[in-house]
Amino acid sequence: MKTFANHNPGSVDEAVAIAQAAISDGLSVSFAGGGTDLLQLVKDRIPNRPGAGAPDVLVNLKSIPGIGGIAVNARGGLTIGGLAPLSALAASSVVRQRYSVLAEAAEQVASPQIRNTGTLAGNVCQRPWCWYFRNGFNCYKAGGNQCFSIVGEHQLHAIFGGGPSFIVHPSDVAPALVALEATFHIIGPHGERTLPAAEFFVLPRDDAGHENVLGDAEVLVSINLPASANGVHSSYHKVMDRQTWTHAVASAAVVLDMEEGLCRSARIVLGGVAPIPWRVQAAEALLAGERVTAELADAVGVAAVAEAQPLAKNAYKVPLTRRLVERTVLAVSGVA
Amino acid sequence: MAIDPLKTVGQNTPRIDAYERVTGQATYTRDIKLPGMLYARVLRSNVPHAMIRRIDTSKAEALPGVRAVMTHETHKIPYGSGSISGGRQYSDAHKDITTRLRYTFNDHVRYVGEPVAAVAAVNRHVAEEALQLIEIDYEELPFVLDVEEAIEPGAPEIWSGGNIAHDSENRQQPIGGRTGDLEAGFAEADQIFEDRFTTQFVQDAQMEPRSALAHWEGDKLILHTPTQGVSNCRHDTARDLGLEDHQVQVICQYMGGGFGDKNGNYYFDLIAAAFARDLGVPVMVELSRKDDWLATHGRWHTVQDYRVGVKDDGTVTAIQLNGLSGMGPYLRRSGNVAGMDVYACENTEKSILPVHTNRVVSGNFRAPTYPQGYFGIESMMDEVAYKLGIDPVQFALKNMVRPTETKQFTNFTLDQCIEQGAELFDWANRWKPEPGSGEGPIKRGAGMAFMMFNARLGASSAILRVNAEGRYTVYVGVTDIGPGAKTTMSMLAAEELGVPLSDVDIVWGDSDRCPYSVGESGSRCTMMTGYAVVEAARDLKRQIAENGMPQGDSVLIASATPAPTTNGKLREGFGAHFVEVEVDTHLGDVRVTKYVTVHESGRILNPLPALDQIRGAVIQGIGQALTEDLRYDSRNGQPLTSGYYWGRHLTHLDVPQIENVFIETDDGLGPYGAKTVGESGIIIAPVAVANAVYNAIGHRMRDLPITRDKILEVVA
Repeated sequence: MKTFANHNPGSVDEAVAIAQAAISDGLSVSFAGGGTDLLQLVKDRIPNRPGAGAPDVLVNLKSIPGIGGIAVNARGGLTIGGLAPLSALAASSVVRQRYSVLAEAAEQVASPQIRNTGTLAGNVCQRPWCWYFRNGFNCYKAGGNQCFSIVGEHQLHAIFGGGPSFIVHPSDVAPALVALEATFHIIGPHGERTLPAAEFFVLPRDDAGHENVLGDAEVLVSINLPASANGVHSSYHKVMDRQTWTHAVASAAVVLDMEEGLCRSARIVLGGVAPIPWRVQAAEALLAGERVTAELADAVGVAAVAEAQPLAKNAYKVPLTRRLVERTVLAVSGVA
Repeated sequence: MAIDPLKTVGQNTPRIDAYERVTGQATYTRDIKLPGMLYARVLRSNVPHAMIRRIDTSKAEALPGVRAVMTHETHKIPYGSGSISGGRQYSDAHKDITTRLRYTFNDHVRYVGEPVAAVAAVNRHVAEEALQLIEIDYEELPFVLDVEEAIEPGAPEIWSGGNIAHDSENRQQPIGGRTGDLEAGFAEADQIFEDRFTTQFVQDAQMEPRSALAHWEGDKLILHTPTQGVSNCRHDTARDLGLEDHQVQVICQYMGGGFGDKNGNYYFDLIAAAFARDLGVPVMVELSRKDDWLATHGRWHTVQDYRVGVKDDGTVTAIQLNGLSGMGPYLRRSGNVAGMDVYACENTEKSILPVHTNRVVSGNFRAPTYPQGYFGIESMMDEVAYKLGIDPVQFALKNMVRPTETKQFTNFTLDQCIEQGAELFDWANRWKPEPGSGEGPIKRGAGMAFMMFNARLGASSAILRVNAEGRYTVYVGVTDIGPGAKTTMSMLAAEELGVPLSDVDIVWGDSDRCPYSVGESGSRCTMMTGYAVVEAARDLKRQIAENGMPQGDSVLIASATPAPTTNGKLREGFGAHFVEVEVDTHLGDVRVTKYVTVHESGRILNPLPALDQIRGAVIQGIGQALTEDLRYDSRNGQPLTSGYYWGRHLTHLDVPQIENVFIETDDGLGPYGAKTVGESGIIIAPVAVANAVYNAIGHRMRDLPITRDKILEVVA
């Protein structure tokens, strides 16, 4: 493992300043939350930022007080610190009751040990789990200028939004956060900014190296969820190669606003099938104002994959995603 | 056949070292600290096939903390068991004549992961950092990953003379042969079926990453290494280093899993030994998890083409198999494919070519030739049974091997295993005559398979000592790779001596302190070494009867090196597995919902670990059936799925409670009638699962693993 310097800042501002100073000195910097994935990246010498080497400097965010809590905010929504452990999210009664899609996503991440240590922000910001990237290929995500998967092995790769990189976004909680219309609070060298979750993630066609808009010295400090209205039901379904410790082959975060058996509005966001959490608005539109039936759910599933562009070896993800969406919609609406 | 109950043997006995293991007190190789020791790491080829033009280690040598760098230019050490089966009972003659000898470092590198250099440094971090500073100029060569492409004319030659592996006399000949009259068998058939089945490479994936710690006392090497056989490891290492056996002491007190390919030495043993000799201090070589995955061994992948003749009444009249086994660039083990002899049909032909590719080296993994072979032949026979409209259980009972005049068994229970399993599983209700039938997207189905397996060759020694205090000490060359050999050996001694288990101490895992053992592979440790313990105990009892117990400082010592014989009969363990799966035809998930096994392994000496062995093996077998793979990119020859995450090894959430019944027998042979257990459970797990998937969805899965994409391709 490469030797690095560790810093234990007392505040986010201090953390940002340390990172900024190191970058100015030409050093490679990584923020460390739970560190579950970062440690492996360092050991495997995989860049945590495209084009950077293994980190020279780690900025340990766990030394900062007050950025790991889960609390109802003044607007009746929920503010979750970026350092909140995934297991705490999964266990939180308010998250379970009002934002079950998020609790279900958090409790399906990896394994119990990783959920106890891994954080909300870390899961949202984790690097791709493409086997080329993770095996040290100098691909777009590592700072190179090609995607090895296109004409190689891409059974687990994108069927939506691919090109020039065909990674899939690995986070379970990210689709849930987009479906819940969360906002992300970021602190960096130029101050603070707040973004809708959907605007946090970037497609490779816009930035091939990064999965999100965070600058090298920016920290995702907290996430806000809007107040949850009565009648909102949600769920997260994840398809895995085994029952634990794998990323989603495909996943669906579905939030339905129901009133007297009718669906007022729907949000459907897919994981594991695109380089970002992939919202399928055409499918959502079919549900608006409608009573959910088996036939409608089937049509929603079909609509969800209408725009899919599979590669040669991942066409199976199209029927899989269709059925997954159908099933999740049925489960959330309560139609057997 | 009833068995007579015994006092110690047959009682559920926790492992005698369980407490040390689970409390972290057990000292594994990597836990050992010696004064002044250095740490070494190995640099590996990152290209699948190349000649090394130039290797520049100057920057690595200049890094503070680095003590030495080793390459093919500095050290030309043969790694005999790297290309030929290890251990003295197999291959001394072969090693003398082979034209395809492997060295610890080769300038002709033949797979991604092949060792090209090693660094010894003051700690593992410096050693690893130094690897990054070694510059290698490769002349890259064309490579081949596919076994069929590898034997086409014009394929890249991994060895001059072509990619078919050499046998022990340097000939390129298929493994196998003919029995009966194949042409007459096919002529007699009403129908002939042909099909192809393919299996993947799977890693042994034991928990403990490999490592070796070497130091020298004068001209004697002391080597701590996780081996399945201290005796064979000593012999291999001595031979490779030009030493006599007595100049090498191999010690393995605890190891984190064997699973087959560690009954010999490894290149990293030789690297540790050479560094320690050069530098005059102890040196520990450590492999990372990725090293462990790519630069050791796993089950060879196969392509199997079957042709089966059958009468309309379901009698199999002829079986023909042509196959290829992918061995990687070095032939470490046989490449054979088993399974045909579990059928009674006498007209057979088998022809298997072990083939070199630029993949990871294949080796022995728990029943080395069996799961892949049984997947082929019992998938084929399952298909034939359905085509003839015969229940697979009936087809099995009709065509399975049975004792004959010329084929005698010490005892035979295969039919009992099948019948009892079918009843326990409720085959009559769970199996559906029309495969793929049923309402809804979740399809349920049932499959079965049956097997026999015998312990491999070899003899072992044991020494027993008693002192005036009445303490008995067993000396055996076992290392306890998982099945609990230390406990079993102690129980056998206690039983035969008629003393409590607590009066018996054991000395194990040290080639200087223990007599020769064949090592723990081939499911023979209990049979061979255990039988030696029983014989030695008998001798000691006789001495005690003649001389009385020792007095004062005197001791009595007995030893035995029996060569058990079965008088020309087959001594087989038998088994049958019954599996129910649910296949979600919308999502492509396969869930194993019920798993019943019936095994006959003679007398069960210690039921607790015996059951563990069956269950653990079944879990590995289900993994081979459904998820495990080492995927390569065919354009650049790079492996993509090393390690537990990518290897998709199953977890406890993925498998149901595995119900096992042992039919206990005593054929009067072996220690108290014990037969083999350790490898039996994995043999038919892949095929039983695959046959259940067929019953569920009505599509035959001919290529392992049966992953989601393959399921959805045929049902979505």
